[in-house]
This record gives sequence, C-alpha cells and structure tokens, in this order.
Amino acid sequence: MRHLLAATALAAFVSTSAHAAGPQLTPAQHDAAHAMFEHIIDTPTVIGRHQTPAMAQYVADQFKAAGFPDADIHVLPYHTSSATTGEDDTAALIVRWRAAGAPTAKPIMLMGHMDVVEAKAEDWAGTDPFKMVEKDGYYYGRGTIDMKDGITAITQAMINLRKAGFKPKRDIVVLFTGDEETNGIGARNGAGQWIDLLGHPEFGLNADGGGISFNTDKSPAGATMQTAEKTFAGYTLTVRNRGGHSSKPRKDNAIYSLAHALDKIEAYRFAPMLNETTRAYFEGRQKLEKNPLGDAMRRWLANPNDGDAADFIEASESEVGLTRTRCVPTRLFAGHADNALPQLATAMINCRIFPGVDPNAIKAELEKVVADPTVVVTRNDDYVASLASPLRPDVTAAYTHAVQALHPGMPVFPEMSTGASDARPFRVAGIPVYGVNGGWIVTPIDNRAHGKDERLPVQALYDNVVHWQLMLQDLAGK
Amino acid sequence: MRRFAAIALAFVSTTAMAATDPRTLPTKLEPAWQAKTRELFKQAIEIPSVHNRGETQKVAKLLADQFRAAGIPDADIHIMPYEALPGDQTTALIVRWRAPHATKKPMLILGHMDVVEAKREDWKFDPFVFREQDGYFLGRGTSDMKNGDVATTMAAIKLMSEGFKPARDIIFFYSGDEETRGVGATLASTKWRNLTDAEFGLNADGYCGSYDQNFRPLGCQVSIAEKTFQTYFLTTRNPGGHSSRPRPDNAIYELADALKALQGHRFQPMLNPANRGYFEHRAKQEGDSPLGRAMRSWLANPNDGAAADIVEASPIDVGLTRTRCVATMLSGGHADNALPQSATATVNCRIMPGVEPKDVQTEIQKTVGPKVEVIPDPNYIGVPTPASPLRPEVQAAITNAIHLVVDPKMEVYPVMAAGASDGSFFRAQGIPVFDVDGGWAITPLDDRAHGLDERIPVRAMYDDVVYWEKLIRSLAS
Repeated sequence: MRHLLAATALAAFVSTSAHAAGPQLTPAQHDAAHAMFEHIIDTPTVIGRHQTPAMAQYVADQFKAAGFPDADIHVLPYHTSSATTGEDDTAALIVRWRAAGAPTAKPIMLMGHMDVVEAKAEDWAGTDPFKMVEKDGYYYGRGTIDMKDGITAITQAMINLRKAGFKPKRDIVVLFTGDEETNGIGARNGAGQWIDLLGHPEFGLNADGGGISFNTDKSPAGATMQTAEKTFAGYTLTVRNRGGHSSKPRKDNAIYSLAHALDKIEAYRFAPMLNETTRAYFEGRQKLEKNPLGDAMRRWLANPNDGDAADFIEASESEVGLTRTRCVPTRLFAGHADNALPQLATAMINCRIFPGVDPNAIKAELEKVVADPTVVVTRNDDYVASLASPLRPDVTAAYTHAVQALHPGMPVFPEMSTGASDARPFRVAGIPVYGVNGGWIVTPIDNRAHGKDERLPVQALYDNVVHWQLMLQDLAGK
Repeated sequence: MRRFAAIALAFVSTTAMAATDPRTLPTKLEPAWQAKTRELFKQAIEIPSVHNRGETQKVAKLLADQFRAAGIPDADIHIMPYEALPGDQTTALIVRWRAPHATKKPMLILGHMDVVEAKREDWKFDPFVFREQDGYFLGRGTSDMKNGDVATTMAAIKLMSEGFKPARDIIFFYSGDEETRGVGATLASTKWRNLTDAEFGLNADGYCGSYDQNFRPLGCQVSIAEKTFQTYFLTTRNPGGHSSRPRPDNAIYELADALKALQGHRFQPMLNPANRGYFEHRAKQEGDSPLGRAMRSWLANPNDGAAADIVEASPIDVGLTRTRCVATMLSGGHADNALPQSATATVNCRIMPGVEPKDVQTEIQKTVGPKVEVIPDPNYIGVPTPASPLRPEVQAAITNAIHLVVDPKMEVYPVMAAGASDGSFFRAQGIPVFDVDGGWAITPLDDRAHGLDERIPVRAMYDDVVYWEKLIRSLAS
C-alpha cells in the first residue's frame, strides 16, 4: 500500500530545477538496474500465482553475484492466507551486510515488499501489466511505483556500494516481504520469529513509503518521510431478530435497526488529534495555503481544541483522514429470503485509527455512538495500535540531504499515512520505521498505485538508486 | 409463502375461560398411523429442499413412493422436472387417484415441497434434523408446509387401505418452487392442465386454525382473496474509492436513509369485501377495547386513517388494512477496505387486491427519493388475482371436519390472506382454490414459518391426517 504525497496536492512550491545536477550512475550500473527492474516487473508476484519465491531467489542471486556471502542471504518461504485474500506459498528475502569491524551501533533495516496488487491486461490501455514497456519517458507495468522500483533501488545501491569498496560501520540488513498487499504475515514474522536473523535493528528504512512529487508544471510538490500510519481495524455491526413471514411485518426489524445505527455512525465525528508527525506536516502545509484551508490549519495548530477548524480541514479532499480516526461502512449483508423478515443484518465498518489509539477503545466508542443494545459491535481482527515513530534527527538529515542532492530546494515533510504497511509490526515492537523512498512522480497524473497503467518516470528509477546510496553512506558510513 | 392462520377470527363466547391446552389433548389418529406419519414427516423434513440445492426431487420421489406402495399405478404418477429460478432445477409431483365411476369433476389437492432457506448458525438446532420436543415437531418445513404434504399423502393412503373408492378423481399436485417463483403452479394451471384440471382446489399450504395463548380458539380461516406478492430492489450507487479516505457521499449511508424513509411510510388503508367481513367479526370479538373501537370507527368511516393505523398495529391484524412493504435483505460493497460502489436492499411488498404493483413502485420511489433506483424483481412480476367465492359444500365439509377433529368451538370463516401462495396461479386460470389445511397453532408463539426454530404441535400434525381423511370422504363421496 503505497501512499504518495500526491494526494496532498502541495501546489504552490517555488519552482526549482529538478534533479539536474546531482550524482549519476555509471552506464554499467544503469544497465544493471534496468535489467533487474525489467526482470522483476515481468514476474507477476500477485497472490495466488506462486511467483514470489522465484522473484526472491532472483534478487538473492543478484546479491550473491555481487559477492555477498551465501551465509548472509536467506530466502524464507512462508504461507499467506485469509478468507478474503486467498492464499499463496510466498517468500521473504533477508540479506545481511555485516559491518567491517566491530559495529558502532545496532543494524539498520532496509524494507520493501516483492508482491504486487492484481492487474488485468484487459483493464490496461494497450500494455500488458506484467511485461515492462518503456514509453514516453515512463516505465509501464504493475509494481513500477508500488514498489519494485524500491526493491531495485535498495538492491542496486548495496551492490554498487560494495563494488565501490564501501565498508559499513554497522550492519545493514534487508527485509523484502512477499505479502504486504494482502496479509502482512512476512512483516509480522520479521518483527517476531526472524528478528534474530535481522539482528534486532535499531530502526527501519522503508522504501514502501515517502517519496518525491512534482506538480504538472514541474514545480516541486514536496518530499515526504512517512513516520506514522493509522491502524487498520475492521468491525462488524450485527443485529439479530426473531424474523418471521414478510407478509406480517414486525415493529422491530434487523435491517431498520442497522440503518439507524449506520445513520448515527455517519453523523459521528471522532475527536480531532495531533501528533508530532501531523503537527509538523500541517505546519509545513499551512505555509503553502493562503486560503481558508490554510487559515483553518493555523487556527487548529494554535488551538488543538478548535474542533471546527479541524472539521474544516478534514472536509478538504486533500486532507481527509489526517485529523482523526475515521470509520466507514464498506459492506452490508442481511436476510436469507426475499419473503422472510431478516433474522440477521450485518455491516462491516472499516476504521483507520489515529496512531496510538487502541482499536478496543474504538470498539467501545462505536458501541456508545450506536447506543442500541440490539446492535452488537465486534472486532474482525486482532490488530493492535500502530505507533508513530519519533522523528530522528539523523534519519531526517540523511533523507533531506539525499533528496536535496538530487532535487535542490525540495521541501521535506514528515507524513502520517492513512493506510497500513509492513512498518506496523516493527513500530509496535519498538523498532521505529521511516518511509524514505527516493523515487519521484508527477502528481496527480502518475498516482496509479493499485490502479490501471501504473508507471514510473524512467529517470526516477536511476535517481532512486543514487538516493539509497547517499542514505546508506550517510547513516552507515559514519 | 404460506398464509397465516394467525389472523385471528373468532366468535368466542365471553364465558369461555380457563380453556384446556389443546396441545395436551389426545390425538384421534391411531397409534399405528401415528408411527407411519412421524416416519414420513421425519424423512421429508430431513431433505433440505431449499431452492438451488437440487433436493426437491427427493421429496417428490418420497411422496410418489408412498402413493405407489398404496396402489396408485405408475401411469398416474407424474414426476415433472422443471426450472424455477434461473439454474434452479426442481420438480413437481402430480398423482391422480382415479374414481372407479366418476360422478363429478375432479378435485385438486395442492401443496409445495420446497422450503425457505434456513441457516444452521441462526437456529438453536440443525433446521434439517427432525426433532420432537416438548409437544412439538421442530425443523424447517414443519409448519410450511411439509406438514400439509405429509397429512394429505397419509390421508389418501389411509383411505386406500380402508378400501375407500372416491366418487371423483382426486388429483394431488405438489410444486417445487412455491417459495421462490411459482413456476410449478404456473405450469400446472396452464401447460399441464390436462393432468390437473379440476372443479376446485384445496390447498394444504397454511394451517387454518389458531388459539391464543389462553387457548381460546381464534378460528379457522379460509382465504378467498389474497394480496399480490411483489419484490422490489432499491439500489444506490457511488464511485467508491479507498476506505482510508471516506467520501462525503456513501452508497451505504444513502441506502440507510432510504430504508428509514421506507420504515416511516404508511400506505393508504383500504377496505374490500374480504377484509370488511373479517373486521366486522373481529370487532365483535374485541368488544369495547380500544382495538375493537378502532375497528368499528374504521368500518364506519373508511377514510378514518388514524383508526386504521391502530388496527394495523395489532400483531393479530397486521397486513390486513393496507399494502405493506418491508426490507428483507441487504447487500452492499465488494471489499472490507473499499468504499462501496453500490448497495441494494430487497423490499418485499404485499399489495392490496386491485392495486397495481406499478403504482406501488411509484409510491416507493417518491418515498425514498430520486437518488435511489427502484426496480421490481424481474424474476417475479406479481399479477393481481380475483377472489374465489367460498363454495357452500366446501365450507360445510371443512366446518364438519374441524369440529370433529380439532375443536367444536373453532369457527370457520373466509378471509383475505396477507401472503400469497400457489393458489393464486390457479385462481388466475379459473380454478377456484381454498386454503384449508386443518392444522393449528398457538399464536403468536408458533408463528415461525420462514423464521427461526419453526415448529408444529405434535397433536396438530397427527390430527391433520384425520382431518384430511374426513374432508376427502365428504367431498369425494
């Protein structure tokens, strides 16, 4: 689940010349990145297609060929399944690049996922989503921005640095999972049974988060560093009734009770909340908005109890989901025959919970909102609260430096994503994670993750390799 | 779609009190026939003849085997496969018991073998495992209407074993999709008419008798008119999107608003000869209570909507003063983490005779507003049907059988049914049909057709065999 800045439409940046003067790859490095990207885009790592283990092996082989020792490369097969996603035998890849001498600190973990969302050739405009095509300055294919670009960039950056004789002062450990788009079992294993293999990293750098955007007029729209994500949690509202024959309607009806409960949820607003990440984000945003939206941001930052200001921000299409927990009904099921009164009516409520808030507390809040003992609220999963990662000066500086080396003048913001990613189980386990990818796109026209005709500007692939080299030199070379 | 006997109709003397629990009285069916009845009932209940499960043919074979064993020749037993809902391969059974020397036109006895869906997780017990408990038989179909299938079949077999020779052909017709489309009854009343043509039909769908919870007999009702059945689909649509970014408009919320509007809507009350007769008698029964006074006010002034509303609110009389529509099913959305692109409610209407389903559609549309699409179920377009005037010899035969077998205090009276049944298709084709099963229940305790933990009193099941035996004897002698 990639969440690019694009949705926030940071429109009014001062125009700067983009990525003209920065460091570049050699022709051989360029060709290696191209070959790897093409190979993995052409591997359809969709759940149920059993292709992810082959991709994991291919990426492992790239590391081996570059001289990383076999003993530090682990292809880890595992099974992923759930009632709604289907199942697959998938795999994760762990590669550990050991420090040259005694490590100066605990390892840095580099994260990404190898699986992609389903794509159907008939939905795409003329190109096969699983056959990479270069056209009009873009690479087209499923996974080009979510997120085989990041897999390629991390892998090639490590290979290039190793060949160039770079000696990390602390271990760098790679974790590429195989089911981020579906069940997240790889990340859960990473924070659990594989944590020794990962060397108990101090923090993670996730290529499936953050990134750089330009507006269609080429002006910079900003770079974001993802430091927090909302917690995904599902709930079910259930109403039961004696039912009966539909020719004799009863006063109480499971469907009508459910409709009233949904009406209350529609009207309800969770309390607005600010954290370190969103405060920094809105402080950056308000500078760019000289309009009523900017005024509302300034009022809310000045007074976090100004609910009207927060409501105004939440109602903006670009900021929806960023001021508070949001819950929305996504599915309905009721009844068993058209001529029988319903005995059972259920609604699925999908919540995106503000970091740090316990999903059980949201369950209690929903019960209070519905205020009807005949409407039973239950949880659909056992997810725990996602936590925000504290802003680290070293990571922020390294990311800002890498971004601005290639894109001088590009502003950098922390960001809370409204979706969920592999970062959650690590953050919950006390390992902060930062989404710091260095790819760039043009917003909104390239916002196609999960969608049709997904694409990446050609130059962005190579810039991203350089970006990760700069980040690693900065964070593991000192 | 069994009609409800619970629609009380009674002329109970004011001195009736401390009545005996009818469930505790002994049955008039001999023990050997009780055992046979119980065994056939058990086998029938344990076949889950829900639409699309392909099981109805097993019920047809089970009943056909009984007739065959009792001596009906193969040539007079017709198993008729047909398609009901698209893809639902089901079966009807037609059996002709020939008169050696017929003196009258044939008589039709009808019922249906299919049942409404029942989900194991909703029930206390497996709905397709037959149980006897606390004086009841339990399971899906025990009251709608494998009880009637078993009672009519057993009565015929018993009569044959006793050497009874009917004076007219008796045709048994059991359909396989009464609960869904009624294709079986449509075919039987048209294409298969050479096998089913009759002077009149007796429908075993829906027991006629009921008692209140003080065991006062509330009457045995014979429907002569019925409401028109029509289902509508109410759909809202939306562009959808990612659920982490809710839109201000949402298909599920818009549907919820439509359902609230529908819940608050009341159709115009209407009086016709069938419900007028019913309410005249109900008013006497209710005496000077607020309900009785409301009935009299409404009968005196059919425009007294407030009075009609009080009558409609009575659980005994619900559905008899006007058209009623109720939401019965919901579906919406396609993924837990995506905003819904559409949401649909199934709304089931029971329309007063003489009102066109199209006009009801217009009224629903006006109620829910232009954002909601309203369309009739294309699988079943309701057709208003004429009333069947109750034939005196049928009324006399039913009254006699009910008084002898069930209760001498149980009145027999014609009514309008709130539900619809296979009978409507025959009525539409000129064969009068009367819903006359002799079963009974305690209302509203046992009103569980289509619902949870469906059941029938054990005595009501056994006595129904005797009732049908007497009814057949008197109408086919």
